[in-house]
Amino acid sequence: MPPEKLKLAKDMGSKEVFLSLARVKDSSRLFLGASDGKVYDIDLAAEKPEFKSWEGHGPYVTGLALAGETLVSGGYDCKLIWRNITNGGVIRTVDNAHARWIRKLAVSPDGNQCASVADDMVCRVWEVESGKLVHELKGHETLTPNNFPSMLYTVAYSPNGQHLATADRVGQVCVWEASTGSKVQTLQAPGLYTWDPKQRIHSIGGARSVAFSPNGETIVVGGIGHIGNIDHLDGPSRVEAFAWQKGEKLHEFLGDAKGLVEFFAFGPDSKWFIGVGGDNGGLIQIYDLEAKKVTKSEKSPMHVHACVLNETADKLFACGHGRVGVWELS
Amino acid sequence: MSENSGSWSRRGFLGASAAGAAVAADMTGLNVLQNPVLASELKQQGKRVILLWLAGGASQLETFDPKPGRSTGGPFRAIKTSVPGVEISELMPKMATRLSKYTTIIRSLDTKNADHGGAARLMHLGRRDEPTVKYPDLGAVLARELGRVDSQVPDYVSFYTATEGRGSAVSQSGFLGARYNAMFLTEGNVPPNLRKLDEISDLDHQQRGELRDLLSKRFAAGRQSASLGSHNESYARVRGLMASEQLFDISKEPQSIRDKYGPTLFGEQCLVARRLVEAGVPFVKISRAWWDSHGQNFETHLELVTELDNVMSALLDDLSERGLLENTLVVTLSEFGRTPSINSSLGRDHFASAWSSSLSGCGVKAGSVYGASDDDGREVKDGKIGAAELFATIYRAVGIDHRKDYHIGARPIPLTDPGTKHVAEVLS
Repeated sequence: MPPEKLKLAKDMGSKEVFLSLARVKDSSRLFLGASDGKVYDIDLAAEKPEFKSWEGHGPYVTGLALAGETLVSGGYDCKLIWRNITNGGVIRTVDNAHARWIRKLAVSPDGNQCASVADDMVCRVWEVESGKLVHELKGHETLTPNNFPSMLYTVAYSPNGQHLATADRVGQVCVWEASTGSKVQTLQAPGLYTWDPKQRIHSIGGARSVAFSPNGETIVVGGIGHIGNIDHLDGPSRVEAFAWQKGEKLHEFLGDAKGLVEFFAFGPDSKWFIGVGGDNGGLIQIYDLEAKKVTKSEKSPMHVHACVLNETADKLFACGHGRVGVWELS
Repeated sequence: MSENSGSWSRRGFLGASAAGAAVAADMTGLNVLQNPVLASELKQQGKRVILLWLAGGASQLETFDPKPGRSTGGPFRAIKTSVPGVEISELMPKMATRLSKYTTIIRSLDTKNADHGGAARLMHLGRRDEPTVKYPDLGAVLARELGRVDSQVPDYVSFYTATEGRGSAVSQSGFLGARYNAMFLTEGNVPPNLRKLDEISDLDHQQRGELRDLLSKRFAAGRQSASLGSHNESYARVRGLMASEQLFDISKEPQSIRDKYGPTLFGEQCLVARRLVEAGVPFVKISRAWWDSHGQNFETHLELVTELDNVMSALLDDLSERGLLENTLVVTLSEFGRTPSINSSLGRDHFASAWSSSLSGCGVKAGSVYGASDDDGREVKDGKIGAAELFATIYRAVGIDHRKDYHIGARPIPLTDPGTKHVAEVLS
């Protein structure tokens, strides 16, 4: 059953924009990738949580992947940095991991691999231990149908680690076999491509978020629908759900809330999930896959860029514009 | 309306000398270069202006005035240009290699008005509105000053194909009269209703025009009316305008040229602009909307600046290779810039306190940078100018004395507000 209550238990402000998040298992210790190029380390369970920071990137650390004691970070500087989280020491740096902005990282469930996606429209799979490049996944167009640069926003592993999904600006989702790097499915969510040929002659949005359900059967992809007023990202938050192996669309969720859906966290029974994001404010929404509806829509004190559920799915950790917080679910 | 600058009027000058070409051929006989008014008139002959209007407000930080490493700087890097010590946004790699050949950057506009409507009017008129005078916009003034009386092509062509912000895209000839109104294209790249109806033969069309001319001359006999004269002038040019339809047809361009501009609407319209100025159209405005990036500023600029960089560099190369750039000024301008602070939608808001424009080609000192904003781009620290100074500089670049007066009846109307100085540092 989807949780019915959502309560902000603790939050911390900062002057930075937090764009990515990774959490140490069974704890409230978070790593946050920030707009100032730093990775912040904070334990929200501490009596007086403090932001400790590591430098090394240019601006905008947009992806974090945590595997055991190893944290991989990536950003708009096209660089990947491996660190040991106990001492903060840099294990490895790959300077030109991609040719354009790195948008997001994902770690495989066994922690052996991590995947990075970037605006060079390539997903690269790396061995966490050695830093070796395992696969280059190429299947997304570099230009939109309207001849503007496309962007490869997001990536997610399936719960069994056998597949990963990547999603781009025009709403195309590619599903890849992790062991071989071959593409096994393509899904289309063109409603997430907000190209406007009349009013503005450009687009905003794209497929910003993607996730597999824990049973591996469903893929959800999120962003924004048609934008009326650009001033406040004035369009309906939009999520599309697919039975991905059949290539079948299950449902389109158009939320009451306006803005981008930027990240997902699935409940353990695969029947519900949380989407976070926002416009000039923030949104947290709970989606019921069986009932095919948004069961809860809450405002967040910040536009949210990333989130994660704890192991018992009763706490949601989220970060975004100038703030990080933890919500209790019940 | 009349115009006067010293004892010579432009029309009087042109009339006395029969035609610009004849004057040019006989300059020494007239000794015109010792007369500053005549020298100015000669200097502006054949000059053209293309305005790339970035409607909604392009970010100076993501174009010509990046602030790498500052909290206001955003995620884009700054890159070196062909001018030592000058960097621009990494989104403009093509313009970076061309700065020293073509372009001057102005980084110190402080125009006070950050409201779309008011700011767009200010940056089209070069001055604030006045209740008793309807001022002409930049295009109308340049059409008046640079156009030929006997021109067979439009004097002022304006593209605004998007709908957002079109209402703020000022297009008014004001006291100059309907003759200098824009041919305003909103639906595509080709003017609608320009083509002669198939059921009317060319002879019929010509004879109908002659009949209309005869009747209107009879009607006008004994009447004195500026609007009537303006109306008749417009009709007199109909056949020439109809013949200019082919100028809007880019299928007549080699594919290699079309490829350089790219397949986007903005690219195609800039290629039409080149064809128009090549044929003698003195002023073309291409409005590219909509840059109002309150939400997702960086995504918006990744799309739009990438396109601007490609199209602008293709246009400048094309003009240069055809020998047109030395007589054609390309202005890149918005109604304002965007805030240094990054809002909660990863956007930037309206900002008129320290923003940028660029001038390329005709009369411009290529590779120069005028003015500077402070380290975070929050205010101008050097060389502050407003709309009037920018307009004066544009006029000067194409050989127009910005201190000249028009007259409405006996009332002198200065081309720019009295006391306005042009930015001499950016002119060659």
